[in-house]
Amino acid sequence: IYDRAITVFSPDGHLFQVEYAQEAVKKGSTAVGIRGKDIVVLGVEKKSVAKLQEERTVRKICALDDHVCMAFAGLTADARIVINRARVECQSHRLTVEDPVTVEYITRHIATLKQRYTQSNGRRPFGISALIVGFDNDGTPRLYQTDPSGTYHAWKANSIGRSAKTVREFLEKNYTDEAIATDNEAIKLAIKALLEVVQSGGKNIELAVIRRNQPLKLLESKEIETLVAEIEKEKEEEAEKKKPKKST
Amino acid sequence: MATFFGEVLSVYSRAVEEDDDDLDDENEDERIHREIEEKREVHIVWCPEVAQSLEDSGSNTLQCSDLIIAVGTNAAGFLSAYVLNTESWDAVGHVSLWNERSRGSSRQSIAPLPGEPACLFYRHRDNPAVLVCQSTCYIAEDQLFQWTEKVFGCLQKRGLSVMVLSDSPVAEYKTPDYLYGSAVPFLRSLKSSASKGQALCPALEQPNILTGLPAAVLSHCQVHQIPAVLYQCYTDVISPDSITMETYKPALLCLSKLVKLEPCLSADVLRKFAIITEAQSNLYT
Repeated sequence: IYDRAITVFSPDGHLFQVEYAQEAVKKGSTAVGIRGKDIVVLGVEKKSVAKLQEERTVRKICALDDHVCMAFAGLTADARIVINRARVECQSHRLTVEDPVTVEYITRHIATLKQRYTQSNGRRPFGISALIVGFDNDGTPRLYQTDPSGTYHAWKANSIGRSAKTVREFLEKNYTDEAIATDNEAIKLAIKALLEVVQSGGKNIELAVIRRNQPLKLLESKEIETLVAEIEKEKEEEAEKKKPKKST
Repeated sequence: MATFFGEVLSVYSRAVEEDDDDLDDENEDERIHREIEEKREVHIVWCPEVAQSLEDSGSNTLQCSDLIIAVGTNAAGFLSAYVLNTESWDAVGHVSLWNERSRGSSRQSIAPLPGEPACLFYRHRDNPAVLVCQSTCYIAEDQLFQWTEKVFGCLQKRGLSVMVLSDSPVAEYKTPDYLYGSAVPFLRSLKSSASKGQALCPALEQPNILTGLPAAVLSHCQVHQIPAVLYQCYTDVISPDSITMETYKPALLCLSKLVKLEPCLSADVLRKFAIITEAQSNLYT
């Protein structure tokens, strides 16, 4: 009975509808976000598309403005609503204060929207988590994560969706200053993280990057395949080095 | 005549003879009952070699040392991917039955098409005492006893040992603790008292119960003192899913003692058995 009306706490302090919404997020495919020095990267596991479906209408990574973009995991329809509201807010902010939004501002706006839906009568929470990346006006790269409860935090690297825990553990082990030393290395780290959980490799990965003062760029599948091949080659070289040397 | 308890008793009048009409009505009732019973009867259809072996043995039973039953699409997919994918298994029979949710083919002799819900038997070529049964069709409560009696009736009880793998929705798992997402899917076990070995996962806690075919099989094994162990996998997905199938991996330890198994499985093979319903479902991205 404590999970019927979502505005009701259970005796032990749970808001079950919010927690169930977090389960809905886990049904979406994995997304990973990495904050580099001069680049921010979003990588997602592509959903398999039905034969007759137009692939380009199934997008997990969306631009909110020229300098901010987000990836989501969870209910597709909820994401559409949140993204639309965020896009409107980005432009409204530009017109009102004549400045582009900071990444924190738009994240806070999205998180506040989500929180409102956890306290309103008759409405259910949004069933999505989002990874929001971009550069502020002063050139600082940012990565934020929001979840259905309306909390948001800044991260150096994070993941959401189906196998988020596995990817996060990989990132905790492998996100080092050397790993993100260059733009290319940061992109490869995102791909490596996704390869831990994505089935059938590079062709199911979609990648987006924003470089300082540049708009969002979606990597082409050829570029991703090249990077995946590089990563596999590096892995083989590592394995070779670890093999015991034969005595002559 | 209605009684206090609400039953309706037919009263025989002593004044006149029973009308023929009444008899006809009763016959019609009986006829309808019989027709329904026949329709719902469970038939096991064996392949000619096995049918011959059954005839040749004096007791109309097969020698079987291990029977592995998979109930549910994920359990069946796990067996298909890890056990039945080597070339050494023969399809030796199927169970044909009809109920409101499992409309079996009208002619029993036709084997079910691949992918259709069905109840199939496989036997290992090198070790013909090992039988695998994959049950993905719904068996109604009134048919469970028949199924169990007929299937076990074909197998010699001596030396028989049974393993059951069964899927269950995690929503039916009762626990006082809140189940965190990362714990699902998980395995729980249940054994008949004749089973001596150790199960490879925690036992099913009270007040959880088994229902359906796994319960019927385990009850039969308990009554007839056949060692049996059951692994119930609680999962949160309703369609066949590779992560759920992988949860059954501890059972491979027991199975590898019986038959040669595929040592390493590529993710592609598992995905083949997991229905890619994601393409049709745009609900989650």
